[in-house]
Amino acid sequence: MSKPADLVQGTLDLLLLKILALEPLHGWAISLRLRSLSSDVLQVSEGSLYPALHKLEQEGWIKAEWKQTENNRRAKFYSLTRLGRRQLETEAANWQRLSAAISYLVQLSEA
Amino acid sequence: MRPEHWWFTAPLRVRSLFRRARVEDEMDEELQFHLEHKIEEGVSRGLSPEEARAAALRAMGGLEQRKEEIRDTRRVHWLTDFVDDVRYAARSLRRTPGLTAFIVLTIALGVGMTATPLSMLDALIFRPYPVPHPGSVVTLVSTSRDNAFDSFSYPEYRDIRDHVRSYDGVVAHSGLMPVGFSPRAVEIPRIRGALLVSGNFFRSLDVEPRIGRGFRDDEDRVPGRDAVVVLGADFWKSEFGGDSSVVGRTIRLNGRDFTVIGVAPEGFTSLYIFDRPDVFVPLAMSGAFTTNPKKSFFSDRDDRELVVRGRLRRDARLGDARSELESIAKDFAREYPSTNRGRGATVRTMLEMRTQPGDANWKFAVIFTTLAFVVLLVACTNAAGLLLSRARARTREIAVRLAIGAGRFRLIRLLLTESLVLALLGGACGVAIGYAGIALLQRLSIPAEIPIRIPFRMDERVLLASFFFSVLSAVFCGLAPALQGTRMDLVNGLKAADVEEPGSRRFRGRNALVAAQVAMSLMLLAASFVMYRGFHHSLSEGLDFARDAKDHVLLARFDPRLAQYDADKTRRFYRQLVERIREKPGVRSAALCLNPPLGLDGWDLVTFVPENFDMPRDREVLDSRMDAIDGDYFRTMGIPIVRGRDFRGSDDEGAPRVAIVNEHFARHYWPNAEAVGRRIRLGGRAGDPVEIVGVAQDIHYGDTFGGRTDFVYMPVAQHPVSRLVLMVRADGDPLQLLEPVQEVVRSLDPNMPMLRTMSYAELYRYSVVVGPGIAIKLVGTLGAVALLLAIAGLYGLVAYNVSRRTREIGIRMAIGARPRDVLRLVMGKGLTLVAIGTLFGLAMGFAVERFMNSMLFSMAGTDVTVYLVVVPAMLLVTMLATWIPARRATRIPPTLALRCE
Repeated sequence: MSKPADLVQGTLDLLLLKILALEPLHGWAISLRLRSLSSDVLQVSEGSLYPALHKLEQEGWIKAEWKQTENNRRAKFYSLTRLGRRQLETEAANWQRLSAAISYLVQLSEA
Repeated sequence: MRPEHWWFTAPLRVRSLFRRARVEDEMDEELQFHLEHKIEEGVSRGLSPEEARAAALRAMGGLEQRKEEIRDTRRVHWLTDFVDDVRYAARSLRRTPGLTAFIVLTIALGVGMTATPLSMLDALIFRPYPVPHPGSVVTLVSTSRDNAFDSFSYPEYRDIRDHVRSYDGVVAHSGLMPVGFSPRAVEIPRIRGALLVSGNFFRSLDVEPRIGRGFRDDEDRVPGRDAVVVLGADFWKSEFGGDSSVVGRTIRLNGRDFTVIGVAPEGFTSLYIFDRPDVFVPLAMSGAFTTNPKKSFFSDRDDRELVVRGRLRRDARLGDARSELESIAKDFAREYPSTNRGRGATVRTMLEMRTQPGDANWKFAVIFTTLAFVVLLVACTNAAGLLLSRARARTREIAVRLAIGAGRFRLIRLLLTESLVLALLGGACGVAIGYAGIALLQRLSIPAEIPIRIPFRMDERVLLASFFFSVLSAVFCGLAPALQGTRMDLVNGLKAADVEEPGSRRFRGRNALVAAQVAMSLMLLAASFVMYRGFHHSLSEGLDFARDAKDHVLLARFDPRLAQYDADKTRRFYRQLVERIREKPGVRSAALCLNPPLGLDGWDLVTFVPENFDMPRDREVLDSRMDAIDGDYFRTMGIPIVRGRDFRGSDDEGAPRVAIVNEHFARHYWPNAEAVGRRIRLGGRAGDPVEIVGVAQDIHYGDTFGGRTDFVYMPVAQHPVSRLVLMVRADGDPLQLLEPVQEVVRSLDPNMPMLRTMSYAELYRYSVVVGPGIAIKLVGTLGAVALLLAIAGLYGLVAYNVSRRTREIGIRMAIGARPRDVLRLVMGKGLTLVAIGTLFGLAMGFAVERFMNSMLFSMAGTDVTVYLVVVPAMLLVTMLATWIPARRATRIPPTLALRCE
């Protein structure tokens, strides 16, 4: 699966899980949310969004439901499963460890 | 993975598989939803609808690719791809129906040839005991220098049972014994098979009776007290119509009343694959079954007739069980030196029990299976060759697929799927062929007294194995063509349909396949000839008597115990029987014996020490097969006495004991002296002396693969037995004497059952004609099929070559080549392959001949005649197979050939 080059491996999964942990959303809304939340710093190509969502679904971390949107259209809403919540916790923890380690490395003075 | 994970994902997989269209629609709708919003967004930013649409699609980065990515996340694409491949394969195979049919048939023959021997091998070696947890059932055997699989006597069994700790239970049972059965006292008994078993038999083997109950331990304590019987399921159905009220009823066995206490479960026959006991009786009732009134089953420590089985405790190790039993055997040898000196004991697994070195059946099955696998290999080689040429004919198609981006692995998978489809079709047809082979085996009717079960059948185990070998052959014959076919120079591949130059590396593969086929089929032919010659050899000697007797001798078996005769009454009955039958018109002579030659019930053994003979240092006694005979035995059977005299009426109970031995026996023990007048002592150095009064000609005693053996005849008067076979020699057709013989029996005692009456021809046919005939037929079929496949392979190769070189041949002929030159050109290659194959085949033939001789026929050396027949036949046939397509090449009109392509 192709990943956006500017996203660290696995980060997209974490972002999606986090966004969906806040509330169930459909694909379009997720893409809008991604754009606004990360203030355009994180560029997620819309193309890779759907394969990523489907992958999470097949892993059993999120589940999909067809529901009506506010303007009465049918859309596929994703929400977190019990497994997904657990996965989010591990991935978030991993991320914090990793980013802490990297920022420590970056801040080492080159003396 | 955690089960919880499956809880969420399994429904998704199922949905992706079986609601594929729905899932696709939903994906489209979801993406469409996104696109529409994106377009709206664009329009609201001032783009025209068309521009907005293009931008939206661009942002997606290729809609179709994304869809593919999404499909890949479903984790079932391997399966859906497979289904697609199968569909595609079926379509593409339908386009070449002839080739497809040929490959399917080839594989069908290969797989079909293995099904029959696999069913034999399974029955004889691998099929587990029909009890729960069969793996923990082991056999305890007594061992002596002569027999590593000996049985135990009743006192030995009792001691072992009480002293071992490695087992949850130790049971004992007899071999299958004939028993006279009548449902009511007034009916004349019929012969059925009985198994004597210890009281714990059913319980320790975890066999739960179908109705009623099994034996209790206390029903096996007091000799003769508890006359209870458990019926076999088949017997219960055939004899009592499956009536459950049979429990509690009384039936008669050997003239005694027995109470039915239960019915064994369906499918539980016994631990012997050939036996199907009709009734089970406690060991303590063995008094009603003994054949030798002199033996005492319950106290004789050397009356070894019991097979002892143990169910190993879960925590017990086989090694510990072995050393435990060995130490018990040592105690036996110390305490009972007269019966147990030099005797050991050990524990054998099921596999060890079934592959005893002395048993020819499993060896035949092993050889037969090995040969069948060679046929399968030939078939696969053939199919591989055909698939190779098919792959080459499809070069362009494959090149196009590679050019438009198909992965090589994906293409290999597609091609393998094709061969899998072919192989499974072939396997299905093969199973049908296997059915025919097994049906041939099941048709064997063995004229034994108790019906012998033919255990070979097409069951789920054989089916599974056939399926497995079909898949294996698909990989075997599909892999090479798939690998080669997908490795190509695309430019050339796209340009021409067939780009290979003859002599290139690829081509060598197919040549090797054909040479291997020739070699393997030569080996198989040699093997079937060796088999044929082995039988022929073992049947060529010592059967003169039988060829004459089969047209003149009538057999009828009697067991006066069935009519409650004691020893005196039995003797009187037999004497009167023979006397009265002799007086009947058309009777030339009459005799009695325990077992007719070529009979199927196994010979009794006699143990002895010859006087004035240097015993081998490690032997206490020797043994030999024996028969107890009475009346005009040798004249009736047509066996000449070559030296000394026949038995006389005066050789009776009170007279000194006498015996007649066969020539082999005489030569064996007194190679340089006259055997007549010598004495042997029965049972041991201090046993009864028996004088040898005559020497009879060696005959074939009945084992198919056996060579010559020792044999001793003793008069019934001095060696009393109850069950005897009456043999009557007629002037003409023996079956015409049936009525007169029955009349005599009725006049002596209307209640005396005649157990099995048949003409000697029936035994002869089974032992000499049908049994070996089936073996030869089975192995011969293998050879013939292999030869056929090799011919087809060779023909195919040469024909294919010709068609590829049509143009070249045309040019050659146009510039003046004569048909002879073309013939040489085309046939040369084929014949070189045949020559190479023949050389390898000869080497393999020698090896397999040696293997078969050592396993089945006790013969040594190489028989050149086998190869004098097989090799020229092979050469002739293969020559023809290359000649036909080659000749066609010479008939090609040059103009046509040049225009080709």
